[in-house]
Amino acid sequence: MDYILSIVILACINMIAVLGLSIFTGFTGLFSLGHAAFVAVGAYTSAILTYYYEVPFILALAAGAAAAGAVSLIIGIPTLRAKLRSDYFAIAILGFGEALRVLLENFEITNGARGLPGIESFTTLPIVLVCLTAGVFVARNFLRSRWGAACIAIREDPVAAEMAGVRLFRTRLLSLVVSAVYCGLSGGLLAHFLSFIQPVMFTLLQSTQLLAAVIAGGMGSISGPLIASFVFIALPEALRVAQMWRLVAYGLLLVLIMVYRPQGLMGYSELSTLISRILKRGEAR
Amino acid sequence: MSPRDPLLSVKGLSRDFGGIRAVDSFTFDVREGTITGIIGPNGAGKTTVFNLVTGIYRPSAGSIMFCGEDIGGFRPDRIVRMGIARTFQNIRLFNRRSCLENVLTPLMQREKFSFLGALAGSPGNRNKDRKLRGRALELLSELGLERHASCQAGTLPYGLQRKLEIARALATEPSLLLLDEPAAGMNPEETRSLARLISEVREKFQITILLIEHHMDLVMNICSPVIVMNFGTLLATGTPGEIRENQAVVDAYLGKGKIKNERAAG
Amino acid sequence: MQAGLFLQTLITGLSIGGIYALMAVGYSLVFSVLNFSNFAHGAVIMLGAYAGLALATRLSLGFGLVLAGSIAAAGIIAVLNERLAYSSLRKRKAPSLYLMISAMGCAVFLENLVYATIGSRFYAFPEFFGRQVINLGSSSISLLDVAAFLFALAAILALHLFISRTRTGIAIRAGVSDMTMCSLMGVDLDRLIAIVFLLAGGFAGVAGVFLGIKYLVYPTMGWVTNKAYIAAVIGGLGSLPGALAGGLILGVVETFVSTYVSSVIRDVFSFTLLILFLVLRPNGLLGQDSEEKV
Repeated sequence: MDYILSIVILACINMIAVLGLSIFTGFTGLFSLGHAAFVAVGAYTSAILTYYYEVPFILALAAGAAAAGAVSLIIGIPTLRAKLRSDYFAIAILGFGEALRVLLENFEITNGARGLPGIESFTTLPIVLVCLTAGVFVARNFLRSRWGAACIAIREDPVAAEMAGVRLFRTRLLSLVVSAVYCGLSGGLLAHFLSFIQPVMFTLLQSTQLLAAVIAGGMGSISGPLIASFVFIALPEALRVAQMWRLVAYGLLLVLIMVYRPQGLMGYSELSTLISRILKRGEAR
Repeated sequence: MSPRDPLLSVKGLSRDFGGIRAVDSFTFDVREGTITGIIGPNGAGKTTVFNLVTGIYRPSAGSIMFCGEDIGGFRPDRIVRMGIARTFQNIRLFNRRSCLENVLTPLMQREKFSFLGALAGSPGNRNKDRKLRGRALELLSELGLERHASCQAGTLPYGLQRKLEIARALATEPSLLLLDEPAAGMNPEETRSLARLISEVREKFQITILLIEHHMDLVMNICSPVIVMNFGTLLATGTPGEIRENQAVVDAYLGKGKIKNERAAG
Repeated sequence: MQAGLFLQTLITGLSIGGIYALMAVGYSLVFSVLNFSNFAHGAVIMLGAYAGLALATRLSLGFGLVLAGSIAAAGIIAVLNERLAYSSLRKRKAPSLYLMISAMGCAVFLENLVYATIGSRFYAFPEFFGRQVINLGSSSISLLDVAAFLFALAAILALHLFISRTRTGIAIRAGVSDMTMCSLMGVDLDRLIAIVFLLAGGFAGVAGVFLGIKYLVYPTMGWVTNKAYIAAVIGGLGSLPGALAGGLILGVVETFVSTYVSSVIRDVFSFTLLILFLVLRPNGLLGQDSEEKV
């Protein structure tokens, strides 16, 4: 029972990060190979605050999320300008991931490559569920707002978006910061669940898992990536698949989806619309 | 700016791409309330001029005066806010969004919302949202698209997509509307209908229209003045009648065939 | 003492820079022709290294044959990569986002496949260059470093000649400016793109072998390409001379920082350098301002 509970908590924590990346990649159409770095920032910031400074958990979580958002500006401001293509951001965040790992491995306060053990396990299922629910609620409202509409316009056609009055740079930056905040929150919850964090837990491979969930779940959907994220965490556990084979599968999945079904599972629509369509068809009979 | 000044005044506009001079010391004016046409052979630089006016390209030389400012090199969204809107030769819609959402997006960008209020889904925000949706629906109706409000823009037939693009451009409340080959791919009946629509839009919304076209019947019937471009610069300008008689224009572009002279109302 | 260390650092820097340049050129070649970042490039480099390793250890081949074999293997893998993961996307004019995702998928797939099958053990190439050093005054310069640098230069020069002198090369340059026009003029686009990937793969093979000899061979070695991407940005994205310049500059500057400041700081430094360039000179040293055609 405990085992299943921890899988559920892990899955929910992952879903929060996936939600963040979904806003950036699924709804704004920007490619990122490194959102795990923001998870790391959130994890380490909140862990350091509770471990060394005995900051209350909720505050530490908020600080972690805020730190991740602030850090994203370092990468975002030079690379998301209107005239620069998304490749620049992708390269920069790859570089950032490496730089962050080096920094984490060499500071006293982060305890280096050995990692930070003994973090209080403040994270419980109710807390995670509250965060996830709030996260989905806020994401939905964001995407329906004028900023969300601007993000989606950029995904569809950046030139036309500008002609509709969208400020490219500001909107891309906002999308990045929001996604980073979500990842930071996820990191904080993760650190206080696993009670132990290490720099090697936040690498390219973790970023790949996030991206795989967004793509498989479907770009432009909130429910799709959440479902995919849950499946990606729960299924391998159930099948007891080794980590490296999981990644082989993710890699292959990404290619296959792009080639054969780029919209993934729920691309550009939601579970709720699918269900209502099925119900309507049922009524018509 | 006095009513006598032109709405848009372009002087000596030039733009180079590597070794190629796409637009070469181009000078023209657009007077308020007119439907001005730009014609010319392919590669004459017409769309480049549009791109320069709307801020997609920065001029290599020259000025673009609008509302008393030289807008050359301004960012596109700033120019949109100043009151210039455009449609595109290759139709750039938000394909996976509904028609309503296509028109709603620019409306929302013009409105002040509270960020935190939006995230929380506050009643104030929801009211504004409802109001804007109503306005978007109105705009769609003005162009006869209300039936397709919740259809995905990308699934619409070609002619309706063009109309949707115009509706979206109108949502930015422009004083100058740039239409880039709005009749491209249309048959004569559709072209006539479009000509009517453009005239109606000019009346209803009290705006000035500048359009690029190859369909001569459309241009000659609703545009005045007509500007002729060739090799990136001005070849001639005048009323449709004057242009038709201009030998240089005929040689460069129009050819010797007869042009159908149909009334825009026909 | 000072001069000796300086010279040594410079040579090491040029050698690493040469390898970076090789990687950056392969990446830039694909970028300039197909207009997307092939993030699977690192995986091809890694596979080239393993291929070379197999030839060296299993078949005990000499350096020349190992290099040739690696070039061939990596070239073929690159072409397969294009055919399977990119060509259908390219044909339906998918946005570059999709291509990047597919590339990423290939990289992760290949890397972890090697990890799961061959294992994570670090392998070493046989000592092709021995531990031979050239002694110049007070500095000892490794023969390997000199060889790596010279090979890199030679390969890039050869590419330059190919692109400027042969018909295929000219077709590639034409494709850089306008793919559609190219195919309308009767150029077999598929074949041209295959050649581009063959070339890029070839470069990856050379880079892989030298990386493997200089350091070690392991599944995640492909991510050294992060440096290559940074080098390409510094030199100017899409520019081949830029890739060479960027690679050499990054290699040299990084090595100096590593030697004279702190080796730990190296990766933080290259990231900071990247950000600086993006803020001050996004088109890099030799890149051109390219604007989207509307």
